[in-house]
Amino acid sequence: MGLRDAESRAASRRLLATSERELQRIVLDMHDGPVQDIFAALSQLQVVERAVAGDAASQQRVQQAIGLLERALGEIRNFIGAFRPPGFERRALGEIVEGLAVQHETLTDQIVELELPPDLGDCGLPTKIAIYRILQEALANGHRHSGASRQRLRVARHENAIELTVTDDGRGFDPERVLAREEDVGVEGGHFGLRGIQDRVEMLGGTLTIDSAPGRGAALSVVLPAE
Amino acid sequence: MIRVLLADDHAIVIEGLRALLEGEPDIKVVAWTTDGPDVSSLVEQYKPDVVVLDLELTSIKGTAVIEALHERPAPPKVLVLTAYNDGESLRSALDAGADGLALKTESPQQTLTAIRQVHAGRLVFPQAARRWIEGRAAGAPGDLTPREREVWALVAGGLTNPQIAERLGLSDNTVKFHVQHLFSKLGVKNRTEAALKYAHGR
Repeated sequence: MGLRDAESRAASRRLLATSERELQRIVLDMHDGPVQDIFAALSQLQVVERAVAGDAASQQRVQQAIGLLERALGEIRNFIGAFRPPGFERRALGEIVEGLAVQHETLTDQIVELELPPDLGDCGLPTKIAIYRILQEALANGHRHSGASRQRLRVARHENAIELTVTDDGRGFDPERVLAREEDVGVEGGHFGLRGIQDRVEMLGGTLTIDSAPGRGAALSVVLPAE
Repeated sequence: MIRVLLADDHAIVIEGLRALLEGEPDIKVVAWTTDGPDVSSLVEQYKPDVVVLDLELTSIKGTAVIEALHERPAPPKVLVLTAYNDGESLRSALDAGADGLALKTESPQQTLTAIRQVHAGRLVFPQAARRWIEGRAAGAPGDLTPREREVWALVAGGLTNPQIAERLGLSDNTVKFHVQHLFSKLGVKNRTEAALKYAHGR
């Protein structure tokens, strides 16, 4: 690898870490502000709902307000659930991946079959962040599009490389077409898609392989240098 | 009557929950605070059955509050109330020894239900956390907390509880608590067995 390549790769790593800090700030703002306010308002409204039990019209209005606030909270829940960074500095790679699997199962009704070797070890912070976001996106894609009830997630280490594999037996897709369609799309609805996975892998000098076709399930495989 | 203590940085949350809980015939809010370090002395004074605690306290780590409560002779049940339903907060709550987790991003009615459930002795966590909870009961070494691993290594090194306490900067009681948990997770009866298990490949 030439000097310029090394420099630009280092810059990419810094960039990824910076966007992670930005995310953390946004999530914190949502946590400290709207979540507390809406939760408190809902508590009060439920008291009011009981107090107006004899007045059908008022009760209906209060219930409607409760419904609206619960919906707003639900949307925030999905956002901060997906974007709050885990304890990247405190936890080893395996623990982070395990936490992600539990989180995916909590947020969806899909089961994650996790395969983690006991001697996986740890890796540098930028790589760890990238691995987490890549796996998170891969699982989210597998949930939204595959129709499968479970996904398999495997992380393995080969000397200086870390290999990630996410597979499902769902309805499959045409990778070329999906990547082409996402060409000009940025982050949409909080998701950065297959294209986003590809970008992150390239920034870290890794390789991405997608094996899928309509009706044949999907297997996504990423190999990253373990730096 | 379930005696409840509320601890949360956000006064409006406490105000809302108090209003809600006071309407329940079987629940009484005996104390509340927006200041995490006050929890221990309030527990001493008011003897609640359930402490509802936000993990994201500014002045002290919520997990430290839980660990301190465990040192008491008859610790109250602890229900963590948090806005975060990610793997990280689940793991922290379980590692610290909480009895349940309720979400601020769900209806406060859920919090009410969870208070009754932890009071009845149930562990209230999402189904997805089963791999960690099962580990807590069944004793796969992979499910030890980082602190328990540290303690395990020192037990295997032949240190006594007071020596471990000094090494890790913890109280004797906290070390005793960790050692008990460690033994039950490992399925061993004493320090010798724990040391043997450590030597044989963890």
